[in-house]
Formats: sequence, C-alpha cells, structure tokens
Amino acid sequence: MSKQHLGELEELVLLLIIMLEPEDAYGLEIRRALKEHASRTITIGAVHGTVNRLEKKGLVKSHLGGATDERGGRRKRLFTITAHGKSVLRQSRDVKVNLWQQIPELALSNLRIT
Amino acid sequence: MKPESNEPPKQVELFLSWLCKPDVLEEILGDLEEYYLELTEKPRWQRSILYWFQVMHFLRPFALKKISTYRPFNHPPMFRNYYKTSSRNLVRNPLSLFINIFGLSMAIGVCILAYGFSQWVNNVDEFHKNKHSVYLTTFFADRDGTLQQNGLTPRPLGEMLRADFTSIERVCRLEDRNVVVKYEDRVFHEQVRFSDPEFLDMFTFPLKWGTKHSLSDLNSIILSEEMAIKYFGTENPIGQDVRIIFGENRSKVFTVAGVAEPFPDAHAIDFDFLVHFDNLIEAEPSYNFNDWGKFVNATLIQVNNPENINTIERGMGRYKRLQNEAEQDWAIATFAFEPLATLYQHSGDIRNTISSPYYSNNYQAQIILSILALILLALACFNYINIAIVSAAKRLKEIGLRKVIGASRQMVITQFLTENVFVTLFALLLGLFLAVTVIIPWFEQINSFSMEFKLMDHVLWGFLVVVLLFTGVASGLYPALYIARFNVVNIFKGSVRFGRKNPITKVLLGFQLVLACLLIVCAIMFTQNSTYIANRSWGYHPEGALYTSVHDYSAFEQLKNVMIQNTNILSVSGSTHHLGRDHTTTVVRNANRQYEVDQLSVDTHYFETMGLEVTSGRVFNNHSESDRLTVIINKLFAKNLNLENPIGELIDIDNTKYEIIGVVDDFHPYSFYHAIQPTLFKIAPEQDYRFLSMKVQVGSENETYATLRNTWAQLFPEIPFQGGYQEDVWGNYFEEVATHGKFWRIIALVTILLAGLGLFGLVTLNVSGRVREFSVRKVLGANLKHISAVIIQQYILLFAIALIIGAPLSYFIVAFFFDSVYTYHIPMNILSVALSVLILIIVLLAVVFTQIGKISKSDLVSGLRVE
Repeated sequence: MSKQHLGELEELVLLLIIMLEPEDAYGLEIRRALKEHASRTITIGAVHGTVNRLEKKGLVKSHLGGATDERGGRRKRLFTITAHGKSVLRQSRDVKVNLWQQIPELALSNLRIT
Repeated sequence: MKPESNEPPKQVELFLSWLCKPDVLEEILGDLEEYYLELTEKPRWQRSILYWFQVMHFLRPFALKKISTYRPFNHPPMFRNYYKTSSRNLVRNPLSLFINIFGLSMAIGVCILAYGFSQWVNNVDEFHKNKHSVYLTTFFADRDGTLQQNGLTPRPLGEMLRADFTSIERVCRLEDRNVVVKYEDRVFHEQVRFSDPEFLDMFTFPLKWGTKHSLSDLNSIILSEEMAIKYFGTENPIGQDVRIIFGENRSKVFTVAGVAEPFPDAHAIDFDFLVHFDNLIEAEPSYNFNDWGKFVNATLIQVNNPENINTIERGMGRYKRLQNEAEQDWAIATFAFEPLATLYQHSGDIRNTISSPYYSNNYQAQIILSILALILLALACFNYINIAIVSAAKRLKEIGLRKVIGASRQMVITQFLTENVFVTLFALLLGLFLAVTVIIPWFEQINSFSMEFKLMDHVLWGFLVVVLLFTGVASGLYPALYIARFNVVNIFKGSVRFGRKNPITKVLLGFQLVLACLLIVCAIMFTQNSTYIANRSWGYHPEGALYTSVHDYSAFEQLKNVMIQNTNILSVSGSTHHLGRDHTTTVVRNANRQYEVDQLSVDTHYFETMGLEVTSGRVFNNHSESDRLTVIINKLFAKNLNLENPIGELIDIDNTKYEIIGVVDDFHPYSFYHAIQPTLFKIAPEQDYRFLSMKVQVGSENETYATLRNTWAQLFPEIPFQGGYQEDVWGNYFEEVATHGKFWRIIALVTILLAGLGLFGLVTLNVSGRVREFSVRKVLGANLKHISAVIIQQYILLFAIALIIGAPLSYFIVAFFFDSVYTYHIPMNILSVALSVLILIIVLLAVVFTQIGKISKSDLVSGLRVE
C-alpha cells in the first residue's frame, strides 16, 4: 500500500504506545491512558481491535511479555512502534500542522470548539 | 465476602475459548481479568454487568475464529467408493446382513401395519362434511352414584330445540324399529330407521341413485347399497315398491327413491333403510311425539357455528326441568352435546348411542399396536447397533487407512451413516413388500375386516421417509460415532481392542431380553386366556337350548302346539326378553336408593329351560297370575341391595311393590366383555311373548333345530325365521378371544426370532474373534465343557439381571394390560412368566451350542497361525 491511512483512534493509540513503551504498552494500560490523557472511554475489545489493525498495517509490532503472578499467570502482549509507524505518525502530524498554518487567524478566532 | 469473589466468572473462559482464536485468547483473558480486579469497589452485580459488557465487545472479527469457508464436504466419487466398500462388506457377512435386513424389515412392516390401522381408525366418519357442526344430544343421569351418559333424548326435545335456538340450523330425530321387509318373494327381518328429512343433509352419505330430498316424501324409502343388492340385485331399483310390515295388521308400501353409495369401511353410523319420521305413526299408532316421559333413539342437531354450542348447552336447563317433572325416575343431571367428529371415540362410554361402540375398542387397539411396532423397531435397531459395534473390529484397518489418506472424522461418520441408510432403505422396501403381501392381509384375515390400505397415499410416503431417516439414524449413529472415534496410530499399532466389552452392547442386549420376556408373557397369557374364556361358565346352561323370536302371541301358541309333540323336547317357554338377545332396563327403588337393573320378562318354565340355577327361594309358580307382583333377582343385585336374606323383601318398581321370591346365580347374558349386571326377572304377560325357547334332549339338538325351522316355514311362510342354538348366541366372541391369542403368538414368535437372531449374531462374532484364544485353550488341554463355560460366562450375568428385571416387570405390565382389555380374564399367573423365562434360557443355550459345535470342529493349526 502506497499511502497508509491513519484513523483518529489509531493515531491516538499509536502515540500512547510510544508513550508507554516498552513496559506498559498493552491493551488494558493503553485503554487507561486513553481515558486519562484523551478522556476517551472505549471497551477493551476496541483497544485490542485497534492495535490488531495497527499491527496488520505494520505500524506496530508485538511480542508476548513474561508471565507474572498477576492476571492468573497470563502473559501480556506488549507493543512497540515500528519505524514505519513513526514515519506515518510524523506525516500525519505534518499534514495537520500544514493545514493549521494555512487557516487565516480571523477565521480561526470565530471557531468555537465546544 | 468469599475469597473467590475476586476471580472473574469461569464461564467467560469457556465462552471465549469457544469463540476466539487460540492465539489471541491468552492476552484477552489476561486483560479481562486485570480489568475485573480493578472493579473491586463496585457491588458484585454491577461488576458482573460491566465485565460481561467488556467480554461481549470482544466479539469482533479480529478475535473470532474463522468460520470455515465452504469446502465440499465430500466428493461424489467418494460416495461411489463407500457404496463399493459397503456392498462388499455386506456380502462378506451374509449372516449380519440377514439379521439386520430381516429384523428391520419385520419391524418396519409392523410399523406400516400400525400406521395403516391408525389411519383406518382415525378415518371413521371422516367423510361427513358437517362432522364439526353436527352434534348428538346426550344426557347425563345419576345411576346409583355415578353419572352415566346416555344417547337417548326425550321425544319432544328435537322440535323444541329447532323452534327455540336460531343458531341451530337443522334437527334430526332418529328412531329404529325392527320390521319385516317384503319385495316379491324376498322377505327378511330388517331394521328401519325413521328419520327427519334433514338426515341426509347432516350426514353426507353420497347417493348412487335418486335424490336426498325424496326423504321428505312420506312414501319414499332410501336404501343402503347392501340392501339394494339384497333385494333388487345390481339393477337400479328407483321406483320399485317394497312393503314394510310393522306388525300383525300394519304394513305400508314404500317407493324406493334413493340408494346410497357403498359406505366407506370406516364408519360408525349408517343405515339400512331410511323413511320419514312421521311414518312412526303407521308403525306404532300409539306413538306420542310430545310425551316427555318417552325417549327417541337419537336427536342430532347441526349448528351454524360450532362456537355456539356452549350457549345452547347453557340454555338446556328449562328442558331438564320439563323432563324431570315428567319422569322422576330418570332424573337428568345435564344435557351434553357430542360432536360427530369425535363421537366414535366416546361411543363406548355412552349408553344407547346410535354410533357403533366398536370403534372405541379400536382406539385402544391402535395404541397397543403402535407401542408394539415401536418395541419391534427398537429390537431391530438394537440388533443392528450390537452387530455393528462388534463387527467394527473387522473394519479397523479400513477406517485407519481412510483416516491416514485424509478422511476427517465427519467423513467416516458420513460413510457409516450412508451405509446404514442404504441398508435401512433396502429393509424398508422389503418391509413395505412384507406389509402389503403378508402382514396386513394376515391381520385383516384374523380380525376379519378390511382396512382399505392404499399404497398411493402421500402421507404414507411421508411416514416412510420419516421411518427411514429415524431408523437409519437411530441405529447407525452410535456405531458411526463409535467407529470414527478411534485413533489412527492405535489402530495400526494393533492396540485398539474393542467390541468385546462394550457396555452399550450389554445394556441393549439386556433391554432386548426384557422386551422379549414381556411379549412372550403376553402371548402365553392370551393363549391361556382363550382357553379359559372358552371354558368359563356362562352361569347358566346354554347347551341343548334352542330359541326363536316370534312376532306375537298367536304365533307363539301355534308354534308351541306343533313343537310340543316332539318327544325330544324337555321343556318349552315363552318370554318377552331372552338371554343374549334382548332385555330392558328399569329403575328399582329400595330404602331411598335407586338401582338401574336389567330386567327380563319370562314365563314359569324359563329357568328350567335355560338352566338358570336357583340358589335360594323359588321360581315362579305355574299359576303365573299369583306371581304377578313377585320378582327373582340375581346374586349381584342381592348383594347391591345389601340384604342378608332377600327372600320376602319388597322392592319398588314404578311405584309398585314387588316381592323377591328367589335368587339365581350370576350369569352372563352377553359376552364376557360385558360386566355382569344386576338383573331381575318378572312374569311376562302372555300377549307380550316375543321369544320361544326350548330345552331338548342331549344329542338331538340338530334334529330338533331342523324340525323347528321346517315347522316355522310351514306355519309362517311370509316371515323369515330368526333363531338358533343358544350356545351360538355369542359364538364369534370366542373366535375374537382366540384371535387375540393367535395375534400375540405370532408377535411373540417374531420377537423371539429377533432377539434370538441378535444374540446369535453377537455370539457368533464374539466367538469368531476369539478363535486364537480358544485354540490356545484347546492346545493347553481345555475340553469342550471348559470352553462352553467360558462362552456362557459372558452372558450368564447379563441374562440373570435382564430376567430378574424382566420377569416381575412383565408380570405387572401384563396384569395391568389384561385388566384394561378384558372385563373377565384368566387371573395373572406365575406360570406364564416362568415359561417365558424358560423359553429365553433355551434360546440362549441353543445359540451358544451352535457355536460350541463350530469350535469343536475347528482346525487348531489354522486357528493358531498368525497371518
């Protein structure tokens, strides 16, 4: 695929993965961080769905962490961002910054974000 | 709080592991559990709800297992291969094939019989278009404590119903009279049905000739097809005149205006001759249509909407009052309406109904037959399952190879199921053939009826398909699952050893034995019963007694005067009623209780002529006048009256006091199907004599009977003779009871055969699988006794358990069965059960000994050689 399209939730999750890596970038923790930093509450299933999609796109890679006494001895799947992931993220930011800069001040002042 | 409350519900793990891909399962469950622990603060119920909410959100594409995309389940060429292996396999084991095919086809044949019979039973009166809107008016009356339903109705009721209810569309009264019908030189006693002209509108009997409206003409008569042939042959008789002789000086000429099509075999209501109801005046000048104290045989109504019947039933109260004022002895409790559609099922419980009670017996027979068919089918299926399991050993390599080259478990199951459906199909065709050519004709012949079995019936074919699939799957599913379960590696290693000790085989065999035991006990009991019934005393002495009906007293006098000169005759008597032929019902009052009793009016010699035993008191004196107010009762009535010594007591009949002067032994006036009724005898006025009976010297019955017939023909050439030997009054009852014996013997034989064949198959397979073992035993010095013991040992415990359960079970089931079928029957006895156990043991020994013979002759060397 020549052009990777990045969804809004995907972008957020990707950013959070960078923030949480390497120790805490797994499903439930991502969900918690999402709630904390972006005030978004989504189901655990949705988080898993999103990271799964990101992995398929090659933006993150994952490995199973070591087993601990927590979680009934079950291992966590820990995510790390790939180089491709980083560049897609950067591109996405650039597009937005570029767009922001093109908007005249006047028009922006009337924008009311509620 | 319990400690385990911190663990998430266990079901989740099962639920998700069932639905989710295994490689993502671990992380999902881990996250979920962690999440659950976060919720410790919340109340339990809320926690559960939140948790499940999260769980359900995992049901999304990335996590779910792939639903396998369509992949051809099996290839047509594979089925060809299945067919080939199956047919080779079947041919290689002709014994198993024979046992399976024979058993299944017998069972399916009986199923088809049961189906045909229930079709026939349920078709009774089905052809009437108005069967759901026509009702028979009945009433309930209190008879000595129990409510008895009765099909008679007060005479004026019909006309009043017609006038009072707008929802009643048609009303039809029916009255039957015995008459003599004369056409040219053909003269017979017949029964004529007087009916309102609506009869043929309500009962849609199609007419072959003529129109149904002709019934409204007072001079018309409509014949059944049978009667038309009897009098006119096959010609169209419309317009012909027949004379109907109602009595001595009363007769009327009717013109034939219609002939009915032949009635379907399954009908409970029919007619021979139909004439207009108002002709009753001709037949019986004193007939009063408006007398509430008298009854008419039946009143039928047709309503515009079956829902209205409840309204009509509620409105019957005023008629009840009218009736009970007129006839206090027969106080009616309620009126009730019986729909024509189900009348035949209930007609056994309704007294005096126009609908033949014969069919309510068939209803019972239908259930018995269906149960029987199921039992046989079960036996055959068990045989199949047992043999399939045991012979699976021979096909292990085949199954192993199939699995190795890629057959999945489903494929192996499919293979065995198709093989089984194929065998069942073959058995089904054979069973159908057997049913049509052997079983149904045999059943019809021993019961002498025709059940109009039709092959071209789509319901039948539907039924057959159901039987095919049911039998095929029921018998094949377990063996298929069982066989497909084996692990390939174990098969080739040779470590799979099975078939010999499968508990299912034992349970099924034991179950078969129990069923066989039950049916054999049935057969023995029915056989014993037919002898018992044939020898059971009638309670009087019918041997040497002859009777004939006479039309009036002068005929009686003439006949008696001629016959009395015959020296063979010991006594002659006249009576209004006669044992086995006629009686009337009367209500007796005594000590404020009412009794409904059978009444026979007889003369002074009757007891001597019929051989009724007087146990106490006396019979009527010769001076019959002085005994006009006396009665003789039977023992049962004496017992019901609760009188220590009934002689000399007074009882009240129609507000007149009668003195009891004698008690006779209980006797059966009708067949043993009917319970003995409380009965009383009265003196008959001479002008009411309708029967002449006589006792003749032993050995001269036939001769005297011939004389009686000749005398009759000389005296009354116009009137047909109606009489016979008293012993023949219920002659076909014995045939019927003997038929039951015959039927059950055949069924038991089939059962023994099925169970025996199954056992034979099992033992044979078992022995042939152990040839090497037996050879080793023989080499080591075992003699035949040891080897027999080894074989029998396997079955002896099973047999013992099966018979210990089966014998008492059969005893109680058969006892219950007999009580519900017969009013009087042979008492249940241990002998039949013992005999049945003995038969089964003999079968076991016989089966085992055939195999022992085979082993003793077998060649040691070939038995021991490997490969």
